[in-house]
Amino acid sequence: MSIFIDSTTRVLVQGITGSEGSFWTKHMLGLGTRVVGGITPGKEGQQVEGVPVFNTVRKAAAETKANASVLFVPPAFTKDAVFETLDAGIGKIVVTAEGVPVHDAMEIRSAALSEKAMVIGGNTSGVITPGTAMMGIFPYWIDRVYRPGRIGVMTRSGSLTNEVTAMLIKAGFGVSTLVGVGGDSVPCTRFAELLPLFEKDNGTDAVLMIGELGGTMEEEVAEAKGTGMFTKPLVAFVAGRTAPKDKKMGHAGAIATAGRGSVTGKIEALEKVGALVADRPSAVGALMKKAVTK
Amino acid sequence: MKLFEHQAKELFKEAGIPIPHGEVVENEADCGRAIDKVGLPCVIKSQVLQGGRGKAGLIQMAVTKEEALLKAHDLMATRKVRKLLFEEAVNKEKEIYMAVTIDPVDCSALIMASSEGGMDIEDIAVRMPDKIIRERVKTFRSLLPFQARNVMFELGLKGEAFKQGVSILLKMFELFKKNDAELVEINPLILTADGKLVAADGKVSIDDNAAFRQKRYPITRDHFGSDIEYEAAVKGIPYLQFDGKIGLMCAGAGLTNTVYDLINYYGGSVASYLEFGGPNYRRAAEAMDFTLRNKPSVVLIVTFGTIARADVMAQGIVDAIERLKPDVPIITAIRGTGEEEAGKILRKIGLEPLSETEDAVKKAVELSKAGVR
Repeated sequence: MSIFIDSTTRVLVQGITGSEGSFWTKHMLGLGTRVVGGITPGKEGQQVEGVPVFNTVRKAAAETKANASVLFVPPAFTKDAVFETLDAGIGKIVVTAEGVPVHDAMEIRSAALSEKAMVIGGNTSGVITPGTAMMGIFPYWIDRVYRPGRIGVMTRSGSLTNEVTAMLIKAGFGVSTLVGVGGDSVPCTRFAELLPLFEKDNGTDAVLMIGELGGTMEEEVAEAKGTGMFTKPLVAFVAGRTAPKDKKMGHAGAIATAGRGSVTGKIEALEKVGALVADRPSAVGALMKKAVTK
Repeated sequence: MKLFEHQAKELFKEAGIPIPHGEVVENEADCGRAIDKVGLPCVIKSQVLQGGRGKAGLIQMAVTKEEALLKAHDLMATRKVRKLLFEEAVNKEKEIYMAVTIDPVDCSALIMASSEGGMDIEDIAVRMPDKIIRERVKTFRSLLPFQARNVMFELGLKGEAFKQGVSILLKMFELFKKNDAELVEINPLILTADGKLVAADGKVSIDDNAAFRQKRYPITRDHFGSDIEYEAAVKGIPYLQFDGKIGLMCAGAGLTNTVYDLINYYGGSVASYLEFGGPNYRRAAEAMDFTLRNKPSVVLIVTFGTIARADVMAQGIVDAIERLKPDVPIITAIRGTGEEEAGKILRKIGLEPLSETEDAVKKAVELSKAGVR
């Protein structure tokens, strides 16, 4: 089992004729993903890896009965593309673009919340259920990272996900579904919003959260776990304990967090509700063993 | 990108938000004329992006022209401040905090205000959370006048100042939307003895992701702490300079933060960090060049890429080493797509590719301590 995507999910690829879009379409198909159509305005009638290309999402959705879409669309056009997809009635969307303007992301998240849709990203590798299907950009052939199993993974980062998940696999675990919420300051889906899905999924025994300094997503997970809505074991790693305060290391950090957002604060909040927090990636495997046998 | 105070105030002025009369000066020779224009007493404000300028002595008051010239000389000649803003001094009855920012959780614009202006809002938030007035603006709405009135009533403003406050907040919100801002802040917003509001300071931060449609204020050398940081930024390569020993080339913010933590965990120190992932993975030569310029005692390269192909990075590094001939050890843990090929390429020139991040960090820390530098 899995969350968000499985072998029956009917996936569209927006921007399918671009170099990224066509390259990852090949690999999504290679993993077994049911890619049913692609969209590039003006290129209807073409095929990419045997997948038919349409001019509009509306038409693609109508003809293929797609229920999910992954976007390989530049950041400047992402808002337009996401709204086109929402308007076509598709409720599962993955935005891979890095650099979507914050104000655009706010509008996207706002619309998704009110329309009960789930938009993952931007600035993400996407979602993968190893051995089954993926929407996004994952080197699933690296089997020291992408092995099927029963641990749900949620993460803000790309390369760190490979690093930390490899430790999980090394300890003998595998992944049910891995969701990258993305590295932006306004992710369109937040960690805590994934917890009900992992809670309900009978293919997931425990969750690994790969967090980072800045923002309040890790604190929200602690709060949610504290209310009892998430009962499965939770292991976390939070990067950036020693990051210098006055320098922005990559991702946009705290906006109006008012005292929250520090790694120490996140770890305290998580440990208070019974989550096990690793101090280094290499500690993740042992902690997960402890968590699931508890 | 943060704007300098004088840029924020330029936006305020155009929007009709009252600011003190001021003059920006780039050459010491122009200071006298600027002082004559703004009048005395005056405030001399260094145009730098660091916070806490007052405490750092980067904002000075002067009563006479001689005093003002002396203080300006000290700031420009001794403290190497490139730009000064001379402003008329405003006599204050009260200092107010007012800001428009983003709440990423419930997806609204967040208005924050406090009658305890002048302080850092993070301090107020921690120490006196009930002193912060909050008003949320849903994403598909604009700030409505009733919300601005709510804020002004809570601030206790009356008469002309009340009306002015409503108008200022509405204009701040317009600036926030129009400029793709992450923050529009006035701290302090001064209530003068004769009951008027004036924006004595201004902070505007523009979303870097919106740079393609917000081109008015380009980055300058003044935005950065060092020449290398600036030159790297112009080339689109994120680079940060520290004073430690390990030159770090790493891909992705999360992995970078982790490696940074691990270096500290094992007792090492970082000389610089350079973002080698994303579109930069084909630019090993430039990346290596920037990294070597801060004279590290060892270079540590850690990646675990998906799109960024390990073999391409490895080849780039080999080419860079052959061209630049660095005299410091290079430690690599280059994993991900194409990692086997990458290993072969690195071994060819005698490097020993490592597959575990922590092994690579330990090795680099050890070498940095043994190193001659």
